[in-house]
Amino acid sequence: MRAVWRASRAAVKRRRLQTFVLALVVMISTVTVVVTLGLLAAVSGPFDRVYAAAKGAHVVAEFDRSKVTDAQLAQAAKDPAVAAVAGPFPQLVFHQSVAVGARPINVPGIMTVVGRADPHGPVDDLTLSTGRWPSAPGEIVLRQPGFFKAVPLPIDLVTPGEPTLRIVGFANSAGQSADAWVTPDEARALGATSTQMQYRFHSAGTDADLKTGLAAATKGLPADALTGSHDYLALKAKLASGPSAYLPFLTVFGILGLIVSVLIVGNVVSGAVVSGFRHIGILKAMGFTPDQVTVVYLLIVTLPAAVGCVLGTVFGAALGTWLVNQVFYGIQGAELIDGAAGVPATVYPAVLIGMPAVVVLAALMPAFRARRLPAAVAISAGSAQRAGRGLAVQRRLGGSRLPRAISLGLGWPFARPARTLLTLSAVVAGVTTVTLAIGMAGSTFRFGELHRRTDQVYFTTGSGSPADPAPTHTDAQIDALIRAQPGVLRVAADASVETRIAGSTATIWAGVIRGDYGAIQAPLVQGRWATAPGEVTVDSEYRHQFGLTVGQTIRMLDASGAEVPEKIVGEGPGWHIATPDWQSFIGLNPQGRAATFYVTLAKGADPAAVIAAIGGQDPGLHGAVDGESKTSEKTFLSIITTLTIMLSIVASLGVLNTVVLNTRERRRDLGTLKAIGMTPGQVIAMVVTAMTALGTLGGLIGVPLGILAHRIVIPLTMHGIQEETPDSMLDVWNWAGLVLLTLSGAVIAATGAYLPSIRASRAPVAEVLRTE
Amino acid sequence: MTQTRNADGRGGDDGGADDGGAGERDAVVRLVNVRKDFGNHPALDGVSLEITAGESVAVMGPSGSGKSTLLNLVSGLDRATAGSVVVGGEDLGRLTEKGLALFRRRRIGMIFQFFNLLDDLPALDNIALAGQLVGMKARPARRQALDLMDRLGIADRRDIYPASLSGGERQRVATARALMNKPSLLLADEPTGALDSESGDQVMRLLADLNRLGQTVLVVTHDPRVAARCADRVIEVVDGLIARDHRTEAGSASVTGGASADTNAGSASVTGEAPADTNAAELRRTVR
Repeated sequence: MRAVWRASRAAVKRRRLQTFVLALVVMISTVTVVVTLGLLAAVSGPFDRVYAAAKGAHVVAEFDRSKVTDAQLAQAAKDPAVAAVAGPFPQLVFHQSVAVGARPINVPGIMTVVGRADPHGPVDDLTLSTGRWPSAPGEIVLRQPGFFKAVPLPIDLVTPGEPTLRIVGFANSAGQSADAWVTPDEARALGATSTQMQYRFHSAGTDADLKTGLAAATKGLPADALTGSHDYLALKAKLASGPSAYLPFLTVFGILGLIVSVLIVGNVVSGAVVSGFRHIGILKAMGFTPDQVTVVYLLIVTLPAAVGCVLGTVFGAALGTWLVNQVFYGIQGAELIDGAAGVPATVYPAVLIGMPAVVVLAALMPAFRARRLPAAVAISAGSAQRAGRGLAVQRRLGGSRLPRAISLGLGWPFARPARTLLTLSAVVAGVTTVTLAIGMAGSTFRFGELHRRTDQVYFTTGSGSPADPAPTHTDAQIDALIRAQPGVLRVAADASVETRIAGSTATIWAGVIRGDYGAIQAPLVQGRWATAPGEVTVDSEYRHQFGLTVGQTIRMLDASGAEVPEKIVGEGPGWHIATPDWQSFIGLNPQGRAATFYVTLAKGADPAAVIAAIGGQDPGLHGAVDGESKTSEKTFLSIITTLTIMLSIVASLGVLNTVVLNTRERRRDLGTLKAIGMTPGQVIAMVVTAMTALGTLGGLIGVPLGILAHRIVIPLTMHGIQEETPDSMLDVWNWAGLVLLTLSGAVIAATGAYLPSIRASRAPVAEVLRTE
Repeated sequence: MTQTRNADGRGGDDGGADDGGAGERDAVVRLVNVRKDFGNHPALDGVSLEITAGESVAVMGPSGSGKSTLLNLVSGLDRATAGSVVVGGEDLGRLTEKGLALFRRRRIGMIFQFFNLLDDLPALDNIALAGQLVGMKARPARRQALDLMDRLGIADRRDIYPASLSGGERQRVATARALMNKPSLLLADEPTGALDSESGDQVMRLLADLNRLGQTVLVVTHDPRVAARCADRVIEVVDGLIARDHRTEAGSASVTGGASADTNAGSASVTGEAPADTNAAELRRTVR
C-alpha cells in the first residue's frame, strides 16, 4: 500500500496545475452545496425545531362561550387525532388600548387577551422574557418579542371602557396565540366572550391535516360554536419565504457547480490516463496489480478533491451561516427563530463524504481504463495513439481560406470528441450560469422597480414620546402644508394598525392610507388601489396565505370592534391589507394619526429645500430623502454575482484543464509545428481558436438553457416569497444582450485557453522533440 | 559535381564536375566558438565549423556526444550559450523567437528520426502545411505538395494518414515537407534510425540524390553506413568537441554511382519507373 501511496503522491506532484484546478473546482462546488443545503434546511428546520420546543399550537381556535361550555370543549378535545391540548381559556378583545408609563410602548389597536393561569403547559409553552406572570387581578402580561427586555416596568395599559391594568411582564408565544394574558378569573371578570383552545395534532403537515384535526377536535360541538381559528402553517410559510427566495437559484447553481466538477474530474482523470500511458505501463511492469493501478489513479483526484472539499466546507459553513441568518432579515415573526438558524451539523459529514464520493465516481471509468491497459502496449505507446477522428473536418479546414493556424485550431476539438464534449459541457454550464445570473439580476432590478415608490421625500410624525414630540398640525393640515410647497406634485400618508378579519384569530398588519397613495406606490399586480371606504387592497403574500381573491368581500374588525365589510379591489405590494377608511381604522393606531407622509416632487425640485421648509413650520415632522436601502436586493445580487464569478471561474478552469491536457498531449505536434516554422503567436492563435470555437458553440447552447433556467427559477422564487410573477420580470432580455451572452462562452473559453497557450508557445522545441 | 550559387544563396547543380574548394563557395552554416551548456554540463564546448552551399555533411559521434545539440543550434530550435551561429547569413543569436520561427520556415527543412508528422492530417496536408505557413493558399500549396509527392514516388499515398503509412513512406512525406519551401539547408536527425534496412536505403538514396542536385544537407547519424552513403564530408563529435572533420570520397562516389544503380534496379518509391536522368531533372526542380 505504501508503494501505491508513493506512486499517487508522485503523480499528484507531477500534475501541480491540474491538482490545483481540481482542488479549486471541488472547493467552489462544495461551498455552493453547503450553502444550498444550509438554506434548504433553513426553510423549515429552525422553525420546526423552535416551534416543537415551544410546543407551539398547530391550530388556535376561538369558540363562542354562549354556545359551548368548557367541559364540552375539553371532552371533544379527547379525540385520538389530538396529540395535546391547552385550554379552555377565557378570551376577550381590547380595542384602542394605550400603554402609559415612563417609556411608552406601542400596543396593537386590537388586542386578544387570554386568561391563563400558567405560562407553561402541554401546548404553547410561553417564554417570559421579562417581569413575571400575572397572579392577581389588575395585572397583565403583553406578548412582545424578546428585545423588549430592556423596557422598564411597570407600565399601565389603559383601554377605553375597561379598568386600567398594570403590565407586569412580557412573554412570547411561538404560535402568536394572544396579544396579552391575564389570570383566568380576571379574564372572566373583564367579560370574556369567547374561549380559546389550542391543539397539537399527530398529523399536522398540511392544510388538509389541520382541517381534519380541527374537525375531529370539535366533533359533536354546536355547529356555530367555532367562531375563528388560525394555524401555524401561515407563520411557517412566512418565515420560509426568506430562504425560499434564494433556494431556487442556489439549487440551480449548486447543480451546475456539481455538473462542472464532475466533468472536470472526469476530464482530469481521463487526461491523466491518456497522457500517462507510459506511467501506467511502468507501474504494471514494476509489479503493480490492476487494482493498485486503479487506486493510484483514483488517489490522483481524491487527494486534491479531499483538500478542496475540506476548504469548501469551511468557507461554505461561514458563508452559509451568514446567509441563513441574512435571509430572515425583516420578516415578521423572525424573532422566533433568532439564533436558531444556521447550517445544520448533519450537512458537514454529508458533504465531506458525498463530494469526494462524487469525485471518485466520476474518476472510476477512466481509472478502470488504466486498469485494463496491457503493460506492453502502455509502455510502447508512450501516450495514447490518436485514432484519427474528425479527419474529414480537418481535411476540409485544411483546404479553407482561413490562416492555417486558425484552421488547425478549429480542427483540434474533433480529434478528441469525448474530451471536447466534456469541455463543451463545462462551457455550456458556465454560459448557462452567466445567462441565468444576468437574467436573475435583471429580474431583481425589475422586482425592485415594481416595489419602489415614486416619492423622493418622506416625513415621519414621531413616536409621541417626550423625546420625540408629535407634530403640532393635524394630518389634514400637514397634507395641506406639504402640498403648498413649490415643486410638490403628490402627497400620500399612511399609518399601520393591527387588526383581524372575521373567521381568523391571526393578527394582520393593515395600512390606513390617504391622499395620492396609489399614484406614489408601486404598480399593482392586479385590480386597482382602494379609494373609498368599503374597499381594500391586499398584498400578494397575504392573499396567497389566506386564499383570498380580488372581488371577494371580507369583514375586518374596526377600531370599535365592529366587523366592517370590505371588498378586495386590487392586489399589490405593501401592507397585508390597505384601507382608505381613515374614519373606521385610524383609531387602532397607537398614535391615532398618520405615521408617514410621502411626497413626490416635480423634476428639478430640491428635496432638501422641501424638507427644510416643512421642518421649519412643524418641528414634529422629520423629513428625509427617500433612498431605500434595498438590503434584500443587494444581498440577492451580491450572492448571484459571487456565485456567477465562482462558476465562471470553474468553467474557465475546466477549459484551462482541457487545454493543458491537449497541449501536453500534443507536445510533439506543437514541437513539430514550431520546428517547421510556426511562430509563437500562431501557436497561441491556434490553441485559443480551438477553445474559442468550442466556447462559441457552448454559448449557442448555454444561452437558451440559461433563459430556460431563468424562466423556471424566477416563478419558483416568486412562489417562494408568495408573490405573483409579472411578465416584466421574465422579459428581461434584449437581442444585443443575448449576442453578448452568446459570446460569453467564447470569452470563458478564451480566458481558460490563454495561459496554457502561452506556455505551449514557449515550450522549448528541441527539448520537446528530444523527449518525445 | 559542380556547385553554382543562386541569388538566394542556394546551391545548384549544373551537372558538371565539382572542383571548387570550400573557401570559394558561400558558407551556409558558420559556427564560431559555440558552446552549449545543459546545467553545468557542456554539450558543445567551443565548436567552430563551416558548411558551404551544396555540401553534404554527416555529423557523427557516440550517444551524448553533442551531435543532436549541434543540429538543434543550426536549425534554430535551440540557442547557444556562447559563440556565434550564422546560418544563411542570419545570426541566430540575434533573432527573437518569432524571428527564429520565420527563419526555420524559410531557410530550413527538417527531417526527424521519428518523422514527426501530424497524425490528424493526411500525407498531402502534412506537406502542404509547410507551404501554408509561409502564406501560400491552400490550393497551390496542395498542388505543390502533390508535385513533391509525385517526384518522391508517393503520390498514390496523398490521402493516407501517417498511422497507415510505412516507415519509409512516412520519412519521404517528412522529406517532402522539409523540401516544400525550398530550404537553403536540409537537416536530418538520424533519418534512418527508425526504419528497417530497405526503407533506410530508400531514404539514404533520396538524401544523396537531393545533394547531388545541389541541396545542402546536414545529417546527424551514429550509423557509419549513412555517413558513407549520404555525405561527402564527415564531422566526428566527441564529448562536445569536433574530434575529426574529413571528406569521404567513397561516400560521394557511392552516392553518385549508387543512386543510378539503385534507381535502375527499380527504386520506384523514390524515382518511380522513369530513368535516373528524368528523376534527376524532377528532383532538380524540387531543390530549386
